[in-house]
Amino acid sequence: MHRLGGVGLAAFERQQESQRSFATLSSELSKAQVDHLQSQLTQFRTALSHFAKTHRKSIRSDPKFRHAFQQMCSSIGVDTLVGWREGGWWAEMVGMGDWQYELGVQIVDVCVSTREQNGGVIGMGDLVGMVSRLRGVDSGVITEEDVIRSIKTLQPLGAGYEVMDVGGKKMVRSVVKELDEDQGIILAEAEVEGGRIVEEMLVTRRGWMFERARAGLENMVMRDGLCWVDDQDEEHGRAYWVPSAMQWDKSAYSLPI
Amino acid sequence: MELTTRTTPSDFLLPSIHSAPPFFTEQPAPSTRTLFIDNWSRLILAYARHRRLFTLRVEDAEVAGGDWDEILRNERINRRVLPSYLSSLIAALVANNVAVYEPAKQTRSVLLFWRLPEEWADVLHSWATASGQLNTILTFYEIIDPPVPSPLSGLPIPLLRRAIAVLTRSGRAQIIGVADGEGVRLFAGTK
Repeated sequence: MHRLGGVGLAAFERQQESQRSFATLSSELSKAQVDHLQSQLTQFRTALSHFAKTHRKSIRSDPKFRHAFQQMCSSIGVDTLVGWREGGWWAEMVGMGDWQYELGVQIVDVCVSTREQNGGVIGMGDLVGMVSRLRGVDSGVITEEDVIRSIKTLQPLGAGYEVMDVGGKKMVRSVVKELDEDQGIILAEAEVEGGRIVEEMLVTRRGWMFERARAGLENMVMRDGLCWVDDQDEEHGRAYWVPSAMQWDKSAYSLPI
Repeated sequence: MELTTRTTPSDFLLPSIHSAPPFFTEQPAPSTRTLFIDNWSRLILAYARHRRLFTLRVEDAEVAGGDWDEILRNERINRRVLPSYLSSLIAALVANNVAVYEPAKQTRSVLLFWRLPEEWADVLHSWATASGQLNTILTFYEIIDPPVPSPLSGLPIPLLRRAIAVLTRSGRAQIIGVADGEGVRLFAGTK
Protein backbone atom coordinates (compact mmCIF):
# COMPACT_ATOMS: atom_id res chain seq x y z
CA MET A 1 0.00 0.00 0.00
CA HIS A 2 1.38 3.36 -0.93
CA ARG A 3 0.40 6.44 0.93
CA LEU A 4 1.11 9.83 -0.40
CA GLY A 5 3.85 11.32 1.70
CA GLY A 6 4.51 8.03 3.38
CA VAL A 7 3.98 7.40 7.05
CA GLY A 8 5.61 8.38 10.28
CA LEU A 9 7.33 11.50 11.50
CA ALA A 10 9.00 12.20 8.17
CA ALA A 11 5.60 12.40 6.51
CA PHE A 12 4.39 14.84 9.13
CA GLU A 13 7.33 17.10 8.45
CA ARG A 14 6.79 16.88 4.72
CA GLN A 15 3.19 17.91 5.16
CA GLN A 16 4.19 20.92 7.23
CA GLU A 17 6.77 21.76 4.65
CA SER A 18 4.24 21.80 1.85
CA GLN A 19 1.79 23.84 3.90
CA ARG A 20 4.52 26.42 4.40
CA SER A 21 5.24 26.61 0.73
CA PHE A 22 1.58 26.90 -0.08
CA ALA A 23 1.32 29.78 2.39
CA THR A 24 4.34 31.47 0.85
CA LEU A 25 2.96 31.00 -2.60
CA SER A 26 -0.42 32.32 -1.55
CA SER A 27 1.00 35.43 0.06
CA GLU A 28 3.18 36.00 -2.99
CA LEU A 29 0.13 35.72 -5.16
CA SER A 30 -1.93 38.14 -3.10
CA LYS A 31 1.00 40.52 -2.90
CA ALA A 32 1.18 40.45 -6.67
CA GLN A 33 -2.52 41.08 -6.84
CA VAL A 34 -2.32 43.95 -4.39
CA ASP A 35 0.62 45.39 -6.29
CA HIS A 36 -1.31 45.10 -9.46
CA LEU A 37 -4.35 46.71 -7.88
CA GLN A 38 -2.21 49.46 -6.45
CA SER A 39 -0.67 50.20 -9.79
CA GLN A 40 -4.10 50.20 -11.35
CA LEU A 41 -5.31 52.56 -8.69
CA THR A 42 -2.33 54.79 -9.23
CA GLN A 43 -3.10 54.78 -12.91
CA PHE A 44 -6.72 55.56 -12.24
CA ARG A 45 -5.74 58.26 -9.87
CA THR A 46 -3.32 59.80 -12.31
CA ALA A 47 -5.88 59.66 -15.04
CA LEU A 48 -8.53 61.14 -12.82
CA SER A 49 -6.35 63.92 -11.53
CA HIS A 50 -5.29 64.64 -15.06
CA PHE A 51 -8.95 64.80 -16.01
CA ALA A 52 -9.74 66.91 -13.00
CA LYS A 53 -6.90 69.31 -13.68
CA THR A 54 -7.85 69.64 -17.29
CA HIS A 55 -11.52 70.12 -16.63
CA ARG A 56 -11.50 71.78 -13.24
CA LYS A 57 -12.68 75.01 -14.69
CA SER A 58 -15.51 73.42 -16.64
CA ILE A 59 -16.59 71.41 -13.61
CA ARG A 60 -16.91 74.56 -11.57
CA SER A 61 -18.46 76.79 -14.16
CA ASP A 62 -20.48 74.63 -16.51
CA PRO A 63 -23.57 73.11 -14.91
CA LYS A 64 -24.11 70.55 -17.68
CA PHE A 65 -20.57 69.36 -17.47
CA ARG A 66 -20.73 69.27 -13.67
CA HIS A 67 -23.88 67.23 -13.81
CA ALA A 68 -22.36 64.73 -16.22
CA PHE A 69 -19.23 64.56 -14.12
CA GLN A 70 -21.17 63.91 -10.95
CA GLN A 71 -23.17 61.21 -12.66
CA MET A 72 -20.02 59.56 -13.87
CA CYS A 73 -18.58 59.67 -10.37
CA SER A 74 -21.61 58.20 -8.72
CA SER A 75 -21.81 55.43 -11.33
CA ILE A 76 -18.27 54.31 -10.48
CA GLY A 77 -18.97 54.70 -6.78
CA VAL A 78 -16.88 57.79 -6.14
CA ASP A 79 -18.34 60.36 -3.79
CA THR A 80 -17.34 63.80 -4.94
CA LEU A 81 -17.69 65.13 -1.44
CA VAL A 82 -15.61 62.61 0.47
CA GLY A 83 -12.51 64.70 0.06
CA TRP A 84 -14.12 67.57 1.82
CA ARG A 85 -14.89 65.48 4.88
CA GLU A 86 -11.50 63.90 5.37
CA GLY A 87 -8.33 62.80 3.73
CA GLY A 88 -9.56 63.48 0.30
CA TRP A 89 -7.01 63.75 -2.40
CA TRP A 90 -9.89 63.34 -4.75
CA ALA A 91 -12.28 66.13 -4.01
CA GLU A 92 -9.38 68.45 -3.41
CA MET A 93 -8.10 67.64 -6.82
CA VAL A 94 -11.34 68.52 -8.52
CA GLY A 95 -12.12 71.34 -6.18
CA MET A 96 -15.61 69.95 -5.93
CA GLY A 97 -15.61 69.85 -2.14
CA ASP A 98 -14.68 73.49 -1.83
CA TRP A 99 -17.15 74.46 -4.44
CA GLN A 100 -19.96 72.59 -2.76
CA TYR A 101 -18.91 73.89 0.61
CA GLU A 102 -18.95 77.50 -0.56
CA LEU A 103 -22.34 76.97 -2.09
CA GLY A 104 -23.55 75.54 1.23
CA VAL A 105 -22.37 78.63 3.07
CA GLN A 106 -24.16 80.86 0.57
CA ILE A 107 -27.34 78.83 0.87
CA VAL A 108 -27.23 79.32 4.63
CA ASP A 109 -26.59 83.01 4.08
CA VAL A 110 -29.65 83.42 1.84
CA CYS A 111 -31.89 81.27 4.06
CA VAL A 112 -30.94 83.10 7.23
CA SER A 113 -31.13 86.58 5.76
CA THR A 114 -34.56 85.98 4.24
CA ARG A 115 -35.96 84.10 7.22
CA GLU A 116 -37.69 87.17 8.62
CA GLN A 117 -39.43 87.69 5.33
CA ASN A 118 -40.52 84.16 4.64
CA GLY A 119 -40.62 82.43 7.98
CA GLY A 120 -37.87 80.04 6.99
CA VAL A 121 -39.41 78.56 3.87
CA ILE A 122 -38.09 79.62 0.51
CA GLY A 123 -38.97 78.50 -2.99
CA MET A 124 -36.20 76.60 -4.76
CA GLY A 125 -36.27 78.99 -7.71
CA ASP A 126 -35.86 82.00 -5.43
CA LEU A 127 -33.04 80.35 -3.53
CA VAL A 128 -31.17 79.42 -6.70
CA GLY A 129 -31.66 82.96 -8.02
CA MET A 130 -30.44 84.64 -4.87
CA VAL A 131 -27.44 82.34 -4.47
CA SER A 132 -26.52 83.01 -8.10
CA ARG A 133 -26.70 86.72 -7.48
CA LEU A 134 -24.59 86.33 -4.36
CA ARG A 135 -21.95 84.54 -6.40
CA GLY A 136 -22.28 87.07 -9.18
CA VAL A 137 -22.97 84.44 -11.80
CA ASP A 138 -25.59 84.31 -14.53
CA SER A 139 -28.71 82.31 -13.97
CA GLY A 140 -28.31 78.72 -15.06
CA VAL A 141 -24.77 78.38 -13.77
CA ILE A 142 -26.05 77.06 -10.46
CA THR A 143 -28.74 74.43 -10.76
CA GLU A 144 -31.38 73.08 -8.42
CA GLU A 145 -29.44 69.89 -8.29
CA ASP A 146 -26.32 71.69 -7.04
CA VAL A 147 -28.37 73.29 -4.29
CA ILE A 148 -29.95 70.00 -3.25
CA ARG A 149 -26.53 68.36 -3.14
CA SER A 150 -25.16 71.19 -1.01
CA ILE A 151 -28.07 70.98 1.35
CA LYS A 152 -27.20 67.31 1.85
CA THR A 153 -23.73 68.36 2.88
CA LEU A 154 -25.27 70.60 5.51
CA GLN A 155 -27.07 67.70 7.14
CA PRO A 156 -24.25 66.67 9.50
CA LEU A 157 -24.40 70.17 10.96
CA GLY A 158 -27.86 69.44 12.25
CA ALA A 159 -29.18 72.79 11.11
CA GLY A 160 -32.35 71.18 9.87
CA TYR A 161 -32.17 72.33 6.28
CA GLU A 162 -34.48 70.26 4.16
CA VAL A 163 -35.89 70.16 0.67
CA MET A 164 -39.64 69.69 0.71
CA ASP A 165 -42.07 68.97 -2.05
CA VAL A 166 -45.02 71.32 -1.80
CA GLY A 167 -47.67 70.60 -4.38
CA GLY A 168 -45.06 69.62 -6.94
CA LYS A 169 -42.85 72.62 -6.29
CA LYS A 170 -39.61 72.29 -4.38
CA MET A 171 -39.13 74.47 -1.34
CA VAL A 172 -36.30 74.66 1.14
CA ARG A 173 -37.07 74.76 4.82
CA SER A 174 -34.37 76.27 6.98
CA VAL A 175 -36.03 76.17 10.36
CA VAL A 176 -36.04 73.18 12.62
CA LYS A 177 -39.73 72.66 12.70
CA GLU A 178 -41.88 70.23 10.91
CA LEU A 179 -44.63 71.74 8.85
CA ASP A 180 -47.77 69.86 9.72
CA GLU A 181 -49.99 68.42 7.04
CA ASP A 182 -52.40 71.36 7.04
CA GLN A 183 -49.59 73.84 6.60
CA GLY A 184 -48.28 71.81 3.70
CA ILE A 185 -51.68 71.97 2.06
CA ILE A 186 -51.95 75.71 2.70
CA LEU A 187 -48.55 76.28 1.11
CA ALA A 188 -49.53 74.18 -1.89
CA GLU A 189 -52.81 76.08 -2.38
CA ALA A 190 -51.09 79.44 -2.01
CA GLU A 191 -48.57 78.32 -4.60
CA VAL A 192 -51.37 78.00 -7.15
CA GLU A 193 -52.66 81.52 -6.50
CA GLY A 194 -49.41 83.45 -6.57
CA GLY A 195 -49.30 83.53 -2.80
CA ARG A 196 -52.80 84.71 -1.94
CA ILE A 197 -55.01 82.42 0.08
CA VAL A 198 -58.33 82.81 1.85
CA GLU A 199 -60.23 80.46 4.12
CA GLU A 200 -62.85 79.83 1.48
CA MET A 201 -60.34 78.27 -0.92
CA LEU A 202 -59.50 75.65 1.65
CA VAL A 203 -63.17 75.05 2.40
CA THR A 204 -64.28 74.65 -1.19
CA ARG A 205 -61.23 72.96 -2.64
CA ARG A 206 -60.16 70.81 0.25
CA GLY A 207 -63.44 70.34 2.06
CA TRP A 208 -62.11 71.83 5.28
CA MET A 209 -64.33 73.28 7.99
CA PHE A 210 -64.01 77.06 8.26
CA GLU A 211 -62.58 76.72 11.76
CA ARG A 212 -59.84 74.42 10.56
CA ALA A 213 -58.95 76.80 7.73
CA ARG A 214 -58.87 79.79 10.04
CA ALA A 215 -56.82 78.03 12.71
CA GLY A 216 -54.34 76.77 10.12
CA LEU A 217 -53.91 80.21 8.57
CA GLU A 218 -53.70 82.06 11.86
CA ASN A 219 -51.05 79.60 13.04
CA MET A 220 -49.05 80.29 9.92
CA VAL A 221 -49.29 84.01 10.66
CA MET A 222 -48.73 84.12 14.39
CA ARG A 223 -46.73 81.07 15.29
CA ASP A 224 -44.48 80.63 12.30
CA GLY A 225 -44.40 83.94 10.45
CA LEU A 226 -45.04 82.04 7.22
CA CYS A 227 -48.03 84.17 6.23
CA TRP A 228 -48.75 87.85 5.94
CA VAL A 229 -52.17 89.35 6.53
CA ASP A 230 -53.99 91.66 4.11
CA ASP A 231 -57.01 93.35 5.67
CA GLN A 232 -58.02 95.20 2.52
CA ASP A 233 -58.93 92.22 0.39
CA GLU A 234 -61.79 93.22 -1.93
CA GLU A 235 -63.60 89.90 -1.77
CA HIS A 236 -63.04 88.54 1.68
CA GLY A 237 -61.91 91.41 3.85
CA ARG A 238 -58.98 89.42 5.15
CA ALA A 239 -56.68 87.49 2.88
CA TYR A 240 -53.47 85.71 3.73
CA TRP A 241 -50.31 85.89 1.68
CA VAL A 242 -47.47 83.41 1.68
CA PRO A 243 -44.32 85.37 0.81
CA SER A 244 -42.39 82.30 -0.31
CA ALA A 245 -45.12 81.66 -2.90
CA MET A 246 -45.27 85.25 -4.16
CA GLN A 247 -43.58 86.13 -7.43
CA TRP A 248 -40.98 88.65 -6.36
CA ASP A 249 -38.73 90.69 -8.49
CA LYS A 250 -35.88 90.05 -6.06
CA SER A 251 -33.58 92.65 -7.47
CA ALA A 252 -35.26 95.27 -5.32
CA TYR A 253 -37.35 93.59 -2.70
CA SER A 254 -36.87 96.43 -0.27
CA LEU A 255 -34.86 99.59 0.03
CA PRO A 256 -31.28 99.19 1.20
CA ILE A 257 -30.83 99.81 4.90
CA MET B 1 -49.01 88.50 -10.25
CA GLU B 2 -45.41 89.59 -10.49
CA LEU B 3 -44.32 91.92 -7.70
CA THR B 4 -42.06 94.44 -9.33
CA THR B 5 -40.45 97.76 -8.66
CA ARG B 6 -42.10 100.81 -10.13
CA THR B 7 -41.08 104.38 -10.79
CA THR B 8 -43.53 107.05 -9.64
CA PRO B 9 -44.40 110.20 -11.63
CA SER B 10 -42.00 112.09 -9.33
CA ASP B 11 -39.27 109.66 -10.45
CA PHE B 12 -38.98 107.75 -7.20
CA LEU B 13 -38.24 104.02 -7.43
CA LEU B 14 -40.67 102.05 -5.28
CA PRO B 15 -39.35 98.72 -3.99
CA SER B 16 -41.20 95.58 -5.04
CA ILE B 17 -42.63 95.05 -1.56
CA HIS B 18 -44.77 98.13 -2.26
CA SER B 19 -46.70 96.02 -4.79
CA ALA B 20 -47.55 93.41 -2.14
CA PRO B 21 -51.10 93.89 -0.81
CA PRO B 22 -50.28 92.84 2.79
CA PHE B 23 -47.62 95.56 3.00
CA PHE B 24 -50.51 97.99 3.60
CA THR B 25 -51.82 96.14 6.65
CA GLU B 26 -50.38 96.42 10.13
CA GLN B 27 -49.21 92.88 10.84
CA PRO B 28 -50.32 91.00 13.94
CA ALA B 29 -47.20 88.83 14.20
CA PRO B 30 -44.38 90.72 15.96
CA SER B 31 -41.51 89.69 13.68
CA THR B 32 -43.44 90.46 10.51
CA ARG B 33 -44.69 93.70 12.03
CA THR B 34 -41.11 94.78 12.70
CA LEU B 35 -40.03 93.77 9.22
CA PHE B 36 -42.80 95.86 7.62
CA ILE B 37 -42.27 98.85 9.87
CA ASP B 38 -38.54 98.85 9.08
CA ASN B 39 -39.35 98.80 5.40
CA TRP B 40 -41.90 101.56 5.75
CA SER B 41 -39.49 103.72 7.76
CA ARG B 42 -36.81 103.44 5.09
CA LEU B 43 -39.37 104.10 2.39
CA ILE B 44 -40.79 107.18 4.12
CA LEU B 45 -37.37 108.69 4.77
CA ALA B 46 -36.07 107.93 1.29
CA TYR B 47 -39.17 109.46 -0.28
CA ALA B 48 -39.00 112.50 1.99
CA ARG B 49 -35.38 113.03 0.98
CA HIS B 50 -36.27 112.57 -2.69
CA ARG B 51 -38.98 115.23 -2.55
CA ARG B 52 -37.53 117.31 0.29
CA LEU B 53 -40.58 116.73 2.46
CA PHE B 54 -40.17 117.55 6.12
CA THR B 55 -43.57 116.86 7.61
CA LEU B 56 -45.70 113.74 7.79
CA ARG B 57 -49.20 113.84 9.27
CA VAL B 58 -51.80 111.20 10.04
CA GLU B 59 -54.06 113.30 7.78
CA ASP B 60 -51.89 112.30 4.85
CA ALA B 61 -53.49 108.86 5.10
CA GLU B 62 -56.97 110.28 5.62
CA VAL B 63 -57.30 112.52 2.59
CA ALA B 64 -56.04 111.85 -0.90
CA GLY B 65 -54.29 114.55 -2.90
CA GLY B 66 -51.42 115.25 -0.51
CA ASP B 67 -47.67 115.02 -0.97
CA TRP B 68 -47.50 111.44 0.24
CA ASP B 69 -50.00 109.73 -2.07
CA GLU B 70 -47.30 108.12 -4.19
CA ILE B 71 -46.16 105.93 -1.34
CA LEU B 72 -49.14 105.80 1.02
CA ARG B 73 -51.38 104.61 -1.77
CA ASN B 74 -51.02 102.01 -4.46
CA GLU B 75 -53.90 102.42 -6.89
CA ARG B 76 -52.72 99.53 -9.03
CA ILE B 77 -53.53 97.05 -6.28
CA ASN B 78 -56.16 99.25 -4.65
CA ARG B 79 -54.41 99.44 -1.28
CA ARG B 80 -53.59 102.31 1.00
CA VAL B 81 -52.07 102.87 4.41
CA LEU B 82 -54.93 103.44 6.83
CA PRO B 83 -54.63 106.32 9.33
CA SER B 84 -54.27 103.92 12.27
CA TYR B 85 -51.34 102.18 10.58
CA LEU B 86 -49.71 105.49 9.67
CA SER B 87 -50.05 106.47 13.30
CA SER B 88 -48.05 103.36 14.30
CA LEU B 89 -45.46 104.06 11.62
CA ILE B 90 -45.07 107.62 12.85
CA ALA B 91 -44.62 106.35 16.42
CA ALA B 92 -41.91 103.96 15.19
CA LEU B 93 -40.07 106.81 13.42
CA VAL B 94 -40.12 108.83 16.62
CA ALA B 95 -38.97 105.81 18.68
CA ASN B 96 -36.02 105.41 16.29
CA ASN B 97 -35.05 109.08 16.58
CA VAL B 98 -35.54 109.78 12.90
CA ALA B 99 -38.52 112.05 13.59
CA VAL B 100 -39.94 114.19 16.39
CA TYR B 101 -43.51 115.21 17.10
CA GLU B 102 -43.86 118.79 15.88
CA PRO B 103 -45.39 120.63 17.54
CA ALA B 104 -44.74 118.77 20.77
CA LYS B 105 -47.51 117.28 22.88
CA GLN B 106 -49.47 115.74 20.03
CA THR B 107 -48.93 112.59 17.98
CA ARG B 108 -50.52 113.37 14.63
CA SER B 109 -47.71 115.25 12.98
CA VAL B 110 -43.95 114.77 12.82
CA LEU B 111 -40.87 116.55 11.63
CA LEU B 112 -38.77 114.07 9.65
CA PHE B 113 -35.03 113.72 10.07
CA TRP B 114 -33.92 112.33 6.73
CA ARG B 115 -30.86 114.21 7.79
CA LEU B 116 -30.22 114.27 11.53
CA PRO B 117 -29.93 117.68 13.26
CA GLU B 118 -26.17 116.99 13.60
CA GLU B 119 -25.94 116.54 9.84
CA TRP B 120 -27.96 119.70 9.17
CA ALA B 121 -25.59 121.51 11.53
CA ASP B 122 -22.66 120.49 9.33
CA VAL B 123 -24.55 121.49 6.20
CA LEU B 124 -25.34 124.89 7.71
CA HIS B 125 -21.78 125.50 8.84
CA SER B 126 -20.28 124.45 5.51
CA TRP B 127 -22.73 126.64 3.62
CA ALA B 128 -21.94 129.70 5.77
CA THR B 129 -18.21 129.05 5.41
CA ALA B 130 -18.36 128.54 1.65
CA SER B 131 -20.53 131.61 1.08
CA GLY B 132 -18.33 133.80 3.30
CA GLN B 133 -20.97 134.49 5.91
CA LEU B 134 -19.11 133.48 9.06
CA ASN B 135 -19.10 136.08 11.87
CA THR B 136 -21.98 138.03 10.36
CA ILE B 137 -25.49 137.99 11.70
CA LEU B 138 -27.88 135.95 9.59
CA THR B 139 -31.61 135.95 10.14
CA PHE B 140 -33.37 132.58 10.06
CA TYR B 141 -35.09 133.64 6.86
CA GLU B 142 -31.83 134.52 5.18
CA ILE B 143 -30.78 130.94 5.89
CA ILE B 144 -33.88 129.06 4.81
CA ASP B 145 -34.78 131.31 1.91
CA PRO B 146 -31.49 132.54 0.46
CA PRO B 147 -31.39 134.43 -2.85
CA VAL B 148 -29.22 131.67 -4.29
CA PRO B 149 -30.89 128.31 -3.56
CA SER B 150 -28.89 126.27 -1.08
CA PRO B 151 -29.19 122.85 0.53
CA LEU B 152 -30.94 124.67 3.36
CA SER B 153 -33.68 126.20 1.21
CA GLY B 154 -37.05 125.36 2.69
CA LEU B 155 -35.68 123.92 5.93
CA PRO B 156 -38.36 124.19 8.62
CA ILE B 157 -37.50 126.62 11.44
CA PRO B 158 -37.79 123.96 14.20
CA LEU B 159 -35.21 121.84 12.40
CA LEU B 160 -32.99 124.87 11.85
CA ARG B 161 -33.16 125.58 15.59
CA ARG B 162 -32.02 122.05 16.35
CA ALA B 163 -29.12 122.38 13.93
CA ILE B 164 -28.11 125.71 15.46
CA ALA B 165 -28.36 124.18 18.93
CA VAL B 166 -25.83 121.54 17.89
CA LEU B 167 -23.44 124.28 16.69
CA THR B 168 -24.01 126.34 19.83
CA ARG B 169 -22.99 123.43 22.02
CA SER B 170 -19.65 123.24 20.23
CA GLY B 171 -19.14 127.01 20.29
CA ARG B 172 -19.68 127.47 16.58
CA ALA B 173 -22.89 129.51 16.77
CA GLN B 174 -24.60 132.10 18.87
CA ILE B 175 -28.30 133.03 18.79
CA ILE B 176 -28.88 136.76 18.59
CA GLY B 177 -32.11 138.73 18.80
CA VAL B 178 -32.62 140.92 15.73
CA ALA B 179 -35.24 143.49 14.81
CA ASP B 180 -37.59 141.17 12.95
CA GLY B 181 -37.13 138.04 15.02
CA GLU B 182 -34.09 135.91 15.58
CA GLY B 183 -30.73 135.58 14.00
CA VAL B 184 -27.57 133.62 14.39
CA ARG B 185 -23.90 134.33 14.16
CA LEU B 186 -21.73 131.43 13.02
CA PHE B 187 -18.07 131.07 13.89
CA ALA B 188 -15.23 129.15 12.40
CA GLY B 189 -14.05 126.35 14.61
CA THR B 190 -13.94 122.64 14.84
CA LYS B 191 -16.51 120.21 16.12
